[in-house]
Amino acid sequence: MDFMMYLKDSFVGSMSSVLTMGAIIIPLMVVMEILKDAKVLEKLSDRLNPIAKFFGMSNESVFPLLIGTIFGLAYGAGIIIDSAEEGNLSKKDLYVLVIFLLACHAVFEDTLIFAAVGANLWLLFTVRLVVAIIISYFAAKIIDKRQLVKED
Amino acid sequence: MYKESAIRGFQKGVRTLWGLAKIVIPVYFLVTFLGYTPALDMISRLFEPVMNILGLPGEASLPLVLGNVSNIYAGVGAMATMTLTIKQATILAIMLSFSHSLLLESAVANKAGVGLGLVVSIRVGLALLSGIILNIIL
Repeated sequence: MDFMMYLKDSFVGSMSSVLTMGAIIIPLMVVMEILKDAKVLEKLSDRLNPIAKFFGMSNESVFPLLIGTIFGLAYGAGIIIDSAEEGNLSKKDLYVLVIFLLACHAVFEDTLIFAAVGANLWLLFTVRLVVAIIISYFAAKIIDKRQLVKED
Repeated sequence: MYKESAIRGFQKGVRTLWGLAKIVIPVYFLVTFLGYTPALDMISRLFEPVMNILGLPGEASLPLVLGNVSNIYAGVGAMATMTLTIKQATILAIMLSFSHSLLLESAVANKAGVGLGLVVSIRVGLALLSGIILNIIL
């Protein structure tokens, strides 16, 4: 086996992958940090109450939903746990939120990184979002039904 | 006005990239090394029947396993070493984006109050189902 060849292949290949990802991640993080400091999501959340209505969740759920979808699961879960402790979220809100975010979190970062290694960006983005909407919708319905049964 | 935010974002980006590089580079070296040995062929042949259902080559089992056990970056690092068609790369990416970092992220979701069994079965189930369906329709 040609060891020098191996080293060269691995070095060039891994460096070019990392550089491509850097060219994506650094500008993305700059935009996301500005978004966070400008409190865009706080403002947007108030206008997106129809999302909460669609899933039958409280309006307080919209903000953690947006945060997790855009900034990632760890960050979103932090906000969810905080809101839950303050008593702003019901058990149902919690379940629907977590199920949505399991399927769809950090969408911009993940989608762009996978696009860097050859995946179709729009398909990846759409499939993830649509699947998350479908499973959380049904999760919400199932939870409603169970609660009805319990009340009987 | 948002100069400080931009600078902080840049620093975060560099930190994320560093974290990513620490995983992607070793994984890339490792998988390329396996490619020089019979090991990658053996792994490929072993997983080929299962991977065929997902429309993926046998070697794509490697990014799937690495991505789920370690994290998304390890999966991406392994993917980067392979020559995949757009269809294959997209299926692999969708599967990995539904199910990755099982150990760490499932713990996070569990902490937010959803049972571990449910968390893992949703993620792995979505990954397998999406892989099979996309292989048929794409």
